[in-house]
Amino acid sequence: MSFYPFGGGSSGGGSSGGGSSQQQAVNAQNVAMAENELEMITDTFYRIVDSCYKKCIPPKYIEGELNKGESVCIDRCVAKYFEVNTKVGEALQKRGQQAGVGGAVTGFGA
Amino acid sequence: MYNDAEKQQIQKIIEQKQMRDFLKFYTNLIERCFNDCINDFTSKALTSKEETCIGRCTDKFLKHNERVGQRFGELNQQLMQQQQQAQQSQPQQSSGRWF
Repeated sequence: MSFYPFGGGSSGGGSSGGGSSQQQAVNAQNVAMAENELEMITDTFYRIVDSCYKKCIPPKYIEGELNKGESVCIDRCVAKYFEVNTKVGEALQKRGQQAGVGGAVTGFGA
Repeated sequence: MYNDAEKQQIQKIIEQKQMRDFLKFYTNLIERCFNDCINDFTSKALTSKEETCIGRCTDKFLKHNERVGQRFGELNQQLMQQQQQAQQSQPQQSSGRWF
C-alpha cells in the first residue's frame, strides 16, 4: 500500500512462488469481503482528512507548514473521530440486536 | 486467512484502487486550493499573492494528509490489537472489524 499514507495492518506481504498459486481456488466471496473492507477503510480515511482539515486548518495560508496548534488539533481530531466511529458502531449493533438489522437500518418493519 | 491466489487478486485490486484514488486526490487538491486561494477575477493571470497562496495551500494539505495518515495508522493498529484481544477472550462474537 505505497500510496496510502497509513501503511500497516491489513493483508500483509506480497504473494509467494507463482507456480503453486495457479492451482489454488479463489474464493470470490473472500476477495469481495477484502475489497469491501478496503473500501470502507480508505473511505473513512478520506472523510477524516476532509473533516479534520475543515475543523483544524483555517484557509489563511500564512505559511506552508503546519504550526503547533494545527498539528495538535489534527492529532486530537483523528483520535476523536475513531472514538465516534467506535461509539456509533456500538449503538448500531445494540439497535440491531433489538430490532433486527434490516429494520434498524432501513426503517422498514421486519 | 487468504490463500496465495486470493492474495494476488487482492493485491491487483489494491493497485488499481490506489491509481484511481491518487487521481481523485490530485483533482481534489486542485479544487481545494482553487476555492481557498482564488478570488480575484480582474485578470486571467494569477496574481503573485494567489501563486504564493497556491504553493502554501498545496504544502499544507500534503503535510496535513501525511499527519492524518500517521495518526490513522497508529490508531487503526491499536484498534485491531484491542479487537484481537477481545476476540480471544470471547470467541463467539462475529468478526466485524470496525463495528
